[in-house]
Amino acid sequence: MMIDYLPLLILFVVAAVFAAIAIIMPSLIGPKNPNKMKQEPIESGMIPFTDARQRFPVQYYMVAVLFILFDIEVVFMYPWAVLLNKLKVFGLIEMGFFLLILLIGYVYVWRKGAFEWD
Amino acid sequence: MSMDLTAIPLLSLILWLPVVGALLLFFVRKESTIKLIALATMLLDFVVSLGLLLNWSNTGDMQFVEKLLWIPPLNISYHLGVDGISLFLVLLTTLLGPIVVLYSWHNIKNNLRAFMVLLLVQQTGIVGVFTSLDLILFFIFWEFTLIPMYFLIGRWGGQRRVYAAVKFFLYTMAGSALMLVVILLLYWQTGSFDWIELQQTPLDPTVQTWAFLAFALAFAIKVPLFPFHTWLPDAHVEAPTAGSVILAGVLLKMGIYGFLRFCLPLFPDATLRFAPWIAGLALAGILYGALVALVQKDVKSLVAYSSIAHLGFVMLGVVSLNQQGLAGAVLQSVNHGLSTGALFLMVGMIYDRRHTRLLTEFGGLWKQIPIYSALLLVVVMASVGLPGLNGFVGEFTILVGAFKANRLWAVLGTVGVIFAAWYLLAAVRGMLQGPLDNPANQKLQDLSAREIWVLVPLILLFFLIGLFPNLFLDKINPAVETLLHGMNAAAQISFLP
Amino acid sequence: MNLPHIDFSVITPELIVIATALVVMLAEFVGAHATPSPTRSHRIALIALLGLVLAALAAVAGLGRAATDIQGMLVADDLGRYLELVVLLAAALGLLLAWDYLPQFTKMHSEYYALYLLAVVGMMFMGKSTELITLFVSLEILSVALYVLTGFHRGQLAAGEAALKYFLLGAFSSAFFIYGAALLYGDTGSTHLVDIAARASGGFLTLAGLALLLVGFGFKLAVVPFHMWTPDVYQGAPTPVTAFMSVGTKAAAFVALFRVLQAAGVSYATWSLVLALLATLTMTWGNLAALRQSSLKRMLAYSSIAHAGYMLIGVTAGMQLGLSAVLFYLFAYAFMNIGAFAVVSLLERPGYHATQDATIDAARGLFARKPLLAVVMAIFLLSLAGVPPLAGFFGKLYLFNAAVQSGWIWLAIVGMINSVVSAYYYLRVTVLMFMTEADETSFLRSPLSNATGLAIAVAMVGTLLLGIFAGPWLQQLGQAALAFAGS
Repeated sequence: MMIDYLPLLILFVVAAVFAAIAIIMPSLIGPKNPNKMKQEPIESGMIPFTDARQRFPVQYYMVAVLFILFDIEVVFMYPWAVLLNKLKVFGLIEMGFFLLILLIGYVYVWRKGAFEWD
Repeated sequence: MSMDLTAIPLLSLILWLPVVGALLLFFVRKESTIKLIALATMLLDFVVSLGLLLNWSNTGDMQFVEKLLWIPPLNISYHLGVDGISLFLVLLTTLLGPIVVLYSWHNIKNNLRAFMVLLLVQQTGIVGVFTSLDLILFFIFWEFTLIPMYFLIGRWGGQRRVYAAVKFFLYTMAGSALMLVVILLLYWQTGSFDWIELQQTPLDPTVQTWAFLAFALAFAIKVPLFPFHTWLPDAHVEAPTAGSVILAGVLLKMGIYGFLRFCLPLFPDATLRFAPWIAGLALAGILYGALVALVQKDVKSLVAYSSIAHLGFVMLGVVSLNQQGLAGAVLQSVNHGLSTGALFLMVGMIYDRRHTRLLTEFGGLWKQIPIYSALLLVVVMASVGLPGLNGFVGEFTILVGAFKANRLWAVLGTVGVIFAAWYLLAAVRGMLQGPLDNPANQKLQDLSAREIWVLVPLILLFFLIGLFPNLFLDKINPAVETLLHGMNAAAQISFLP
Repeated sequence: MNLPHIDFSVITPELIVIATALVVMLAEFVGAHATPSPTRSHRIALIALLGLVLAALAAVAGLGRAATDIQGMLVADDLGRYLELVVLLAAALGLLLAWDYLPQFTKMHSEYYALYLLAVVGMMFMGKSTELITLFVSLEILSVALYVLTGFHRGQLAAGEAALKYFLLGAFSSAFFIYGAALLYGDTGSTHLVDIAARASGGFLTLAGLALLLVGFGFKLAVVPFHMWTPDVYQGAPTPVTAFMSVGTKAAAFVALFRVLQAAGVSYATWSLVLALLATLTMTWGNLAALRQSSLKRMLAYSSIAHAGYMLIGVTAGMQLGLSAVLFYLFAYAFMNIGAFAVVSLLERPGYHATQDATIDAARGLFARKPLLAVVMAIFLLSLAGVPPLAGFFGKLYLFNAAVQSGWIWLAIVGMINSVVSAYYYLRVTVLMFMTEADETSFLRSPLSNATGLAIAVAMVGTLLLGIFAGPWLQQLGQAALAFAGS
């Protein structure tokens, strides 16, 4: 019953306490020597040379979305490949359909010109 | 002349002929053809409805019954029939049909086709109300009659037509909303929507009370019973003449008919319980209608308010709950349809000429348009109940019934009759007599042959009913008797002597 | 390892629609690029329509043969078949509306029709799901497709706002739904409705789970107080989409709601009062708010909220009678509501950037300009108001009958009073059409195209005749409901 969920609750509590400690302790005990350089924002270890709030070309998003789509496709294929011996022809046909649908999506994206940068 | 018409589904024919005519109109372009088809359909419908008289047997039972299971899961049937109570109301409807078409021959300027279609389907709706013996079928026709009249008023009416049309629609719909729920409630209790079966199923008094109240509300708004009458002056005054004639002639009778057909036989105990209350409202309506009519400046609203008084009188007959009262109510419903119909037609005719209906605009018409004036006098006399004309028979029978039921009702009702004579005669005197001093009236044309033909059938009937009332009462009485006996048997307390 | 046996007859109509969606996606690339846009659009629409018709045939063929399910996740009983039919009907009518509406503002035809078909698939699956996760997935399929379709008119600010609002609130409601499903799973250890029915404890977890599911359904059905998105979304979405989703989403969600409630394992008395109150609130609020609208689409949006309320009466009334009444009402509603939206779509000013929305003034003097169209619109509106002998009246008759038969008399009374209130705003449009003259505010997109004309004709025939020939149809629906309620 509800007692079965106790470990879950404990996990929550532990996580929360840990996070709280990680945030509060450094500000209490850490040394503070602020200077101008330290207060600059950084980007991947570099001092940014433009305003961070600039607009990205929309193509980045397009590529990112397409990447996720077809990347997940491959993720699905790993467990399928492991079990293929057991699934036999049924599995093959099923994956065929799966790929077909994705292929249609691929053709669509391709013909729409989404892979072209300009 | 005898012909066996029982093999033909006569009622269905009467009911659906106008719809067929309306459909035909969609394929016609020429205005004159449209008018001809509409008139021909209406006349044919009237002739067919006369077939009811040919094969009539003077019993109190339902005749020409047609029954067909329509929606099996709910046991709803297409169940039609007429008895002495509905017979003349059906005939009145089919008679007024051709008359209003003929009246509207020249004075509908726009969308003649739509106008005629509406008149035709309206007729189907009204005949359906008077002949349905299944509660759902009845309700469908009852609500359906709103649509054509709404558009007739709203499109072809007078200045405040939109207001009047919407008010008419919402009032009636609101009134019948509870009726539908109660019909469903009855179905829950008895498993039937059928009028004949329901009559044979005794209902619990509490259910009767609520059912009666819901039905009575719907019917009282239609009649209209004081204080539910406020839609009527607007609708009557703003409607085009044809619409006013149908409204006053038959639509209001649907309310009276509803009381007779449903409230009385289905809920006898509740009827007995509420009869005095309704009588009180009816009397209030008679006096109120008469007093308000007295001060009207517009002839049409005068006639409209007089309708409230007249129908209050009819309701008085209904709640007398005796042979004379009920028979008188049925006959007087028909009379009122004829005479008020004729009055609205004549008001319309003078309005077509002068484009005003103000009483002060008229005077001395007798000198200029004698035919009109003579006919108007006859119509008014019929309306106020001059002996020898139809109104007298109806009013007298009702008074006898009311007298038997309660003397005070009869006395107050008589006062109403006197009032009615007063306001109508005063109005007519103002219009017809005196000097012809308004220059606009000096060029008036008298009635055309068409207009005379519109009125002649009605006037003939005034005399026919007035001189030979038994032709009609013989057919009405058996049905009323059956109704009263049925009620007496079903009610918990016996009320017949 | 046992390989799953799949009975494809259970999902034939859905498979057909999915296949059509895939074909439609690629159809744009067939043929010369020079093909003018409307022609190409019509070709794509035709393929989509063909798919819908085929699917409907498959659904009809499946009637009377309650089929086994796929791993107990989907069921193809008659209830599901009728749901498919009503969704496909709504979809076909909506598609005919889009036929000439779409090329007015966009060149993205393939996308539109493909998404449209996917929404159809989602709805069909939703009404056939007997398992909460499947239910959720189909709900998401239809929702995501509709989010995009709502914002399809990209030139319009209102469309973007509508899509965003729909998306945010929809996602929010999905969260409620999935949380409810999780609680029910926690209670019973299964997401299959059959298992839930058998094992539900009837305690706090069941009730809380059910309540959260109800909230999720409430959003989709636009039940007050979860209706806030409806007017904006219905107004911002392209009119054909609005017409389709106002019927399709409701149909799917109502049938699914029936399935969930049947399996709830909670006594009828527990939820019926809640549903009755929701129905009352929904009808009343929808109708009162509709009284004050000046935009035709917004008015119909509030009216559709009210109609959801009427149908909730059927749900309150319970299984057999209520379900058949709701099914009948859905068909009637598909005809009359899409018909009304079809006429509204003709009253909108076209254009990419223009504020396309039709105010009720656009209908001014319509009778003088196009008599037949005005008459048809009046028939749709009167049917929505529930005036006999139109389909809407019979729909309400059966709903209220179901309510009275199961003892909910006050609910039937509330419903009737609401019908009267609603008559006022429907009449307002007829007043403008018939009883005023045209002026500069009135508008009509012309000429009337064949596709729109066909949609209007079908809707009108349905509205006129569905009620009059209701007998056999109602019997069929009643049997489907009985088969479901008895199972």
